[in-house]
Parts: sequence; structure tokens; C-alpha cells
Amino acid sequence: MKKLLLFTMAGIALSTASRAQFSEFQNNVGATPFTLSSDNNTFQIGGRVSFYYENRFLKANQDNLSHNGFDVKDADLDFLGKTASKFTYEFHLSVIDLATAAATLNTANPANPGIKAGYLQYTGFPVYIKFGYDKLPFSQGSLSEVYGTPMWSHANLYGGDLFSRRDIGLTLQAPLWKHRINLYGGVYSGMGENFFEYGNDASGRFEYVGRAEFSYPGKMKYHVIDEENSPIVQFRVAANARYEDKTQPNGGNVVTSYPDAPGAYGIRMINGKRGVYGGDAVILFKGISATFETDMVRAQPADANDPLYYGTSTTVNGKYVKAGGYAAGLNYNWQQIRSVFSVMYEDFNANDLAINATGAQSAGEQAWLYLGYAYKVNGFNSVFKFEYYRPTVESANLNPLKYYGQIRVGYQIVF
Amino acid sequence: MRTLLLINLLIASLFLSSWQKGKPHFKFKFEHSHSLKNIPEPSDIVYDKETGHFFIVSDHGKLFECDTSGNIIRKAQKEGMDFEGVEIKDSFVYVSDESPRKIYKYRKSDLSLLREFNVSWGGAINKAFESITYNYSKNCFVLVSQAPCVVIEYNDDFKEINRYRFHSARDISDARWYNGYIYLLSALDETIFKCDPATYDVIESYKINVFNPEGLAFDNNGNVTITSDDLQKIYFFKNLPHN
Repeated sequence: MKKLLLFTMAGIALSTASRAQFSEFQNNVGATPFTLSSDNNTFQIGGRVSFYYENRFLKANQDNLSHNGFDVKDADLDFLGKTASKFTYEFHLSVIDLATAAATLNTANPANPGIKAGYLQYTGFPVYIKFGYDKLPFSQGSLSEVYGTPMWSHANLYGGDLFSRRDIGLTLQAPLWKHRINLYGGVYSGMGENFFEYGNDASGRFEYVGRAEFSYPGKMKYHVIDEENSPIVQFRVAANARYEDKTQPNGGNVVTSYPDAPGAYGIRMINGKRGVYGGDAVILFKGISATFETDMVRAQPADANDPLYYGTSTTVNGKYVKAGGYAAGLNYNWQQIRSVFSVMYEDFNANDLAINATGAQSAGEQAWLYLGYAYKVNGFNSVFKFEYYRPTVESANLNPLKYYGQIRVGYQIVF
Repeated sequence: MRTLLLINLLIASLFLSSWQKGKPHFKFKFEHSHSLKNIPEPSDIVYDKETGHFFIVSDHGKLFECDTSGNIIRKAQKEGMDFEGVEIKDSFVYVSDESPRKIYKYRKSDLSLLREFNVSWGGAINKAFESITYNYSKNCFVLVSQAPCVVIEYNDDFKEINRYRFHSARDISDARWYNGYIYLLSALDETIFKCDPATYDVIESYKINVFNPEGLAFDNNGNVTITSDDLQKIYFFKNLPHN
């Protein structure tokens, strides 16, 4: 994994570009939202509805069929406005997540609070300024819309368990050289999606995020499927990093004060210093697209007895914990039959100090294989999607599974 | 049983797949191209028969007059939000400002603004009118929404007269009158459609080898010029085959 990371980082110098917005509803070809316009202002109302049937192939002696049935994936509303004075504003709500949070007192899915975007951006200067809650400029997989692929959810690597995908804060973006180079820098609460649950934390410190992109031969959007069947090779490479020090004052602890913030593996926010760095790339040509991304977490819990250290001595752990891995995907858009075929593989370790039942370390590794198919009635705005995924390496310690595979089949409408 | 049902559903969906309509009849390749260094995100281009110049509009709300190589000669003072379409009729230049749904009428002589019109499109902010042309057989302006593709005819005061749904492309990024026909350009399909000016039915289609084509112009000799927004380039073709 180290070699992979080094190889990728070495191959990536500065990087890349794409458009000013991460908005799922601004660059979506073919969606049919509704727009109101007055003399100098336009206001767009859009949304997404999707549902699927899922079927888990349970292991022997497992009889919980709670994931063998129907589910609503999305019921989103998006409000996007632009003014002649070069302001853009957006509110993106997930009605399903809001309802779930209300019905369960935010216990069912605290990392999905129901608000996906709420920001104001000014594009009148050479450097764009955005203030509010939105996706962080980090990770191609996170920035790309999963609804624009045959898959139903992001890979685990960048799905929100290792680092937050959204936060409130200030983002600066500098597009250069005809948008081929995009530089992002931002300062955020560091609470990620849990900001609405806890507000700012007691440390009073921010999280800092930077990303540099280079795309060629022109600007690129955050799309990973080549729906345009590009007649020329297009590619983007990017490098990004983020850092925060959330050591709590007066002996406080992140886990006890903000129990939902650390996430499934306890590493999304820690009581201490934490850096995440990575790189990603995408290439598109004649309907074929390939993606690659690697992300690495380097966490330094302030307390030598922090559970993240798994009881190892400082001579063993070096006073830090590592997590991360890579994800790679290959897609083909066969436009004549309105179909997209995708395969994706990811391998990551949620804690390199994790110890299994026999006491051996490196028990935190997981690997997953994903297969996807989409039949596009009207692009990804009216689409049938089928996904199959299975673990190829299971971490019995960090993520014990009751199944050996799962399918999801459903339909999605974007308007 | 459940799994069987799902597999059947998948197979059924595959059977429902059909080859898309409107496969281009001809492949049409450009002769040469070059970068438009000083025109950011060029979204449309039109040829001025009187001067032999091009008028080019930019996503940044700017209108330029350029020589045949794309070098800027002058620029209109009045800027907009998101210029996406341009057309010349008589001694005026008409520009479609996509986001605010406006049409600007400039005097060609000095590029001063003469009048503004409001047009209506209820679809997505940036999927509105990326094209404007004049249909000389029906004596009306034609605006085409990018997606879904709807051809809308307007009188000289930009009051709507008629509309036609266009099903042969996933999007339309430009429209141009030339030699008795309406030509529509699809950026997503990278295809030029030659259409009947009365019905907008497709007569011929031409697959071009340009990425993200957004602007289409014909010079006096029928040579085609295309601008690419994302690549900020201008592409020069010869005449359309079998034109």
C-alpha cells in the first residue's frame, strides 16, 4: 500500500481542474428541473428520487433479513439560484435523511443529517469564494456524483467512514489556464456531517483542506462515466491533503463528547492530530473511463492509551495510526444500447494496528469488488441500475460481516 | 425465487434496450484548429457575410467581433451573465443570455445595446437557450433549448409563435440557418443535424470529431467553423459532404 501511494503521489505533481461547483444539480446534462427567472435572477428547483430492492446473500446460521427488501435511496430536493451580481446559492436537502433523523432522534444515521448543501458563493473575483456547508474539495470519489454511475453508493474508502465528505466553512477556488488547473483551499469546522448534531467542538481549532487539480486537454467536470463518448483522450490528476488538531481541552475526549463524530472505525475524527493525504485520476476516451484514487490517514491520538492504538507500545506504533487504501474502477458507456457497465475494486485498511483474535496485526484490511450495470432511459436522469458487491477480503475484527454478497436493483429519477 | 425474479428483470431490461435513433450518416472531420487564447469558454460563433468576420460569444457574458482566425477586433461594452448563442440579422447582432433568459439586440455598427427581450424556459438554469438563429423560410427567430431539446419559434419581438420537440439528439448547443436549411449542433452527441426548416425533421446528420462543440457557423462558401467551449478552440472544416 505504501508503494502504491508513493507511486501515485510521485506521478501526480500539481493538479487539476474542473468547474467551480460540486453541485450535483448544476452540471447535469438532461435533468429537467424547474427554473424561475426574474430580470437578473434565476432560481432552479430540482431533485432526485430513487429506490431499490436489495438482497443480501447471508452466511450460514444468519437469519436477519432486514437487508432483504425495498428501500428508498434518495428523496432529495435542491434549490439553486444565481444572481446577475455573480452570486450563486444552493440548498440541497435529503427528505429521507431528515425524516430518518427525526424519527430516530438522529441515532440511525448521524453522518447523514439530511442537509447536503447550503452555501453562498461569489464568482466575481479571479478567486471564487464560497461560504457555507457543502462537499469538501477532497477526493475525486467523494466529489463525483454516485447517481451518475451504475452504483448505488460510494466506495467505502471515500464514503465517509475514514474522513468526512461535507463540512461548514470557507472555500477558495482559483481556476487557472482555461480552467485546466484548479486550486482549492479551505478552512472548516472539522466536525464534518456531525456539525448539525454538535456544532463546533471544544478545541476551537479548524480543519484545513487543500486540493490541486490538472486536467487536459480542457476543463473537466466531476463525472466518471464518459457519456459524451469523448473523441479525444481527456484526463485529470489531482492531489489533496487535509489536517486538523482536535485535541480536546482540559482532558476532554472526542469519543465521549461527540460519540457519533469518530465514525464506524473511530478515525474520522480523533482526540488528537490527524492528517489525510491522497491523489486521484480519471481518464475518459470513446466511452471508456478509468478511475483511480488513494487516500491515507495518519492519526496521532493525544492519549497513549487511546483504543486506536490497540494497546501497542509507542515503540511499536510510533505514536501514530495509519488507515487508507485505494480504489480503482473501469467503466464502459455503450451509448447505442443506452447501457453503462462498471467494475470497481477497493482495498483499504481502517487501522494498521488492528489486532485479530490470534493477536496478529494488520487485521484491519478489507477488499471489495463491485459490479454495476445501468440502462439509461434518459441518461442517468431516468435510469435502471443494478449493482452487485461482495467482500474479497474481510476484516473480521473491524467489520465482521453477516453476508458474502449483496445485490441492489432499482430505478432513479433526477429532475 | 427472489433472485430469479431479479435476474428476469435484468434480462427484460436488456431486451428493452434499443439502438438509438438518428445515427449520423456521415463522418465529418476538421481540417485544422487553433486556440482562442483571449476568449474564455467560447460558446457560439456566427459568420458576418458583409465583413467576413466572426462574432463569438463567451460563457463569461461577452460578445466579440473577430477576424477569420479568431483574433479579437472589438468587444461589446454591455456584458451579460452567460452568453451562449449569437446570430446576425440585418444590421443587428442578437445574443442569447442563457441563465437569465434574455435576448440582447446590439447594433452591429458599434456594438451598442439597442434592446433587451425576456424569453421563458422553465427547465434547468444552464440547459436553456444555447442557440439562436433566424428561419428565413418562416420569417421567425428560432431558439432551441439545450435539454430537453425543444425548437421554439419567435416573432421579431420575441413573442412565442410555435414549438417543436426535437427527439434526435440528447442535447442541442447551437442552431444555424444556412442555404435554405436549419442546422442543429449537439455537443453531447458531437453531431450536426441538417433539418427541414418547416418541421425541423432531420434530413441528414454528420458526426464530427470535435469534443464539446458548442458553436456552428457557415462562411460564404459553405465552409463550416465550430467552437469548442471546454477546449477553448476553433475548428475549421470544409463543406458538409453531400451538402
